Amino acid sequence: MALNLVTLNRALIVAATVAAVTGTHPVFADEINSASDQPLSIRISPSQYRQSITDIFGSSITIAGGFETETRREGLMAVGARTTNVTDSGFERYDVVARGIAQQVVERYRDALIPCKPADAQAADEACARKFITAAGRLLYRRPLEEDEIENQVKVASAAADAAHNFYSGLGTSLATMLVSPNFLFRYNVLEDDPVHPGQKRLDSLSKAQQLSFLLWNSTPDDQLLDAAVKGDLQTEDGLRRQVNRMISSPRLEAGVRAFFSDMLMFSDFETLSKDPAFFPRFTLSAKDAAQEQTLRTIVDHLITRQGDYRDLFTTRNTFLTRSLAALYDVPLLETTDNGQPMHWIPYTYPEGDPRAGILAQASFVALHSPAGRTSPTARGKALRETILCQTVPPPPGNVDFKFVQDTSNPVYKTTRARLTAHRSEPMCAGCHRISDPIGLALENFDSSGGYRTAENGVQIDTSGELSGVKFDGPIGLAKAIHDDPATVACVAKRVFAFGTGRTPNTNSEDWKQIERGFKDSNYNFVSLLRQIALSEMFYAVPTTQRVAAK
Amino acid sequence: MDLKGRVARTAAPLLIAAPLCFSVSPSRAETRGYVISTFSPAVQTDYHANCPQDKNGLHADLLVRYLMEIGYSKQEAVTVLENQGAFLSNELFTRIATRARINGKPANAADYPDAVPDPNIETVTGRYAYGFDLGGKNKANKFEDPDTHEKIDNQLWRAVGCTENFRIQGGEGMTGLAAGWSIMISGQHLDQDGPVTVTLDRLLQHLEADANGKVMWHATYVIDPSPRLRNVFKGKIEGGWLTIEPGSDLFLLTEEPFAVDINLANIHMRLHNEADGRLTGYWGGYTDWQKFAFRYTSYPNAGDEIGIYHALKKLADASPDSKTGQNREISATYRVEAVPAYLGTMDGKIVATPVRNQPPATVAAK
Repeated sequence: MALNLVTLNRALIVAATVAAVTGTHPVFADEINSASDQPLSIRISPSQYRQSITDIFGSSITIAGGFETETRREGLMAVGARTTNVTDSGFERYDVVARGIAQQVVERYRDALIPCKPADAQAADEACARKFITAAGRLLYRRPLEEDEIENQVKVASAAADAAHNFYSGLGTSLATMLVSPNFLFRYNVLEDDPVHPGQKRLDSLSKAQQLSFLLWNSTPDDQLLDAAVKGDLQTEDGLRRQVNRMISSPRLEAGVRAFFSDMLMFSDFETLSKDPAFFPRFTLSAKDAAQEQTLRTIVDHLITRQGDYRDLFTTRNTFLTRSLAALYDVPLLETTDNGQPMHWIPYTYPEGDPRAGILAQASFVALHSPAGRTSPTARGKALRETILCQTVPPPPGNVDFKFVQDTSNPVYKTTRARLTAHRSEPMCAGCHRISDPIGLALENFDSSGGYRTAENGVQIDTSGELSGVKFDGPIGLAKAIHDDPATVACVAKRVFAFGTGRTPNTNSEDWKQIERGFKDSNYNFVSLLRQIALSEMFYAVPTTQRVAAK
Repeated sequence: MDLKGRVARTAAPLLIAAPLCFSVSPSRAETRGYVISTFSPAVQTDYHANCPQDKNGLHADLLVRYLMEIGYSKQEAVTVLENQGAFLSNELFTRIATRARINGKPANAADYPDAVPDPNIETVTGRYAYGFDLGGKNKANKFEDPDTHEKIDNQLWRAVGCTENFRIQGGEGMTGLAAGWSIMISGQHLDQDGPVTVTLDRLLQHLEADANGKVMWHATYVIDPSPRLRNVFKGKIEGGWLTIEPGSDLFLLTEEPFAVDINLANIHMRLHNEADGRLTGYWGGYTDWQKFAFRYTSYPNAGDEIGIYHALKKLADASPDSKTGQNREISATYRVEAVPAYLGTMDGKIVATPVRNQPPATVAAK
């Protein structure tokens, strides 16, 4: 019997999504009322997909292929994921990736990953298939499978095994269908009556487990967390605390921190980043890839390893470099890696007073927020306000004349500052540029690729700037202003909450103010912030305004 | 005289002195670092003045000659090419490749070039070539350098200058396939006239490529610590040009066959610091002509390997073999370009920094 699995899986996605909305699970809202409502379905991100596969099947599994594009809302892809679905072309991509993973699991790594051997490798074996499907399915779907789900998958495996005369081929078919199931591709938040607050709803245990795991580990819950959820431990203070502490102490916390900052700092834009090699020959592919990793290593080192103050990320002189990045930044970096081998990451500390201190001076910020052939203080200032300070900068009107800004060879306006000043002479431009330019101009020593310069077209660069009334000069002054601005710490706390829940926090609530106080009392220790949020009621709360339909 | 011995004898005394040059504190002297990005025979591009007969032709003409050497008439050879194009049949290719004769039996021409009759390719008869006066006694062999107007020795150019491969100056030839070479220049004030020390080393690493595929500027490299691979010369900067005291030998090891060792006896240098920070100029000296020819005979169809071999052999002008009288070396000049780089040692010290058009914000210590 030939199975049209593509059609079958598409039907499964539609059916499951409809069911999720209309109520084959205990209780569902019939619509999401606002951004603060608990989202009922969130599509997992590409990094969550990869991390889940790595955590379930091991890092030897190669994940080849592209993923459905993501949408950024309120500064995060994690929030945009609550409203994204799977398109036809996206489904095909998931299908290709799924088949590749399944093939590796059942062929190359079967001895390590399949907990049983079939009686006859050339035929179906329901018992062995059931064993694998039950165990793998629990981790993939992030909950124990229902009996009918197991039965259906065993049937799929058996039918495919019979058709191919190969048990493993059949099992691979079943695994591939699970990997394109909405139960894997989407996180579903299930609401139940809250016995502590009669008349209100709360997330059920398994939903809490997912929320916790994707916040702290950027991945599917592990067996311990699922067991705790099934037992109801996550609905108790002690039980939740035990799991949160365990997860925060785990090395896997690094994956969660990396994923959060990759999203917050808009690293997805690296996919389309390019620089003109005629002007920036040292911005190689190697340097571009290394730029993201440099910032993430700096963040992990400072926030997790050193348990440092979050604000010091903008002033720290400690970082990590490869030889290709060192050439981009024009600093010497000695290492003796064998030729042809991947470059090593070398811990590096800039000297006191070096303008390269802090993550804003790294290529992942200054190069990412610059066009291909020139700098853009406006883009950098806008990015800083939006990503670091959670402030909104309106987009330019559709009829803006950029002639001054883009004319980098203008004989009169030789520096970017001069060109922007000319541009701001247009009254309709001045308002927004006043918000972004005084910040971005402080970073003008960094060219479009992240290289350092002191002059532009022969004219010394003026890096004076201003933020929230505080005047400064140069990137060090800007870094200090960011460090001292209350919006910096307020923003990261909001972003962490939104990253974990897909919704924005009610910052006027006492619960939120308690979180902010705790963050401050911990000297802005980021790990402490994660713990506080993960243990807070509001992280799992369902707003009383969220409309729900009873079963 | 053994080349290796000459290098060792010349280099050893300087190596003792060399460390003193680099122990001078930064406040009293500077050391600039570069890696060599171009090293290829210096080409003087006035083809018609150099090769008035235009006898050697291009690749198609070479194939006609090869076919004639295996017995085709010129007309027959032209017809074969018209029918088969530049890619000859395997049978013809094999016959050409084995046209050498040893005791009457076919042999690989590239392996036994002496067993192939000298095709007497056209050699350069023009007036100009880049180079240095290496002390050659035969005035008839001298060219005039178009820049310095000195009478110079460059028989290698005479031998190869009319072949197709040498009609234009070779571009950036240093690649990531072999270990790079570095240049360090030390002196009190390198932007002014004065004495300098020039140190050439092999690097531990291959050269890094930038986004244009050219040698990356301002990358950091580790110098190979082997003293045998270090070459130190006394020189001076005068009128913006760096030259060295003649009489020494240069040996820079590489990884063949990806690149060729640089082995120049009685080396002369003439280098200029360009406005953008590159070093450009020429190196000249006597080199082993067989090793140069090997570059072509080891890659058949890379050029007129047999013609080049015989021309080099005839025009070699130094170091005669005591038994056969055949000169083993030939005067040569190379175009050299180098880009700025950081250079360091195995124990983690930065010993040379790039020259810049603007001062850096900081030179960070590791």
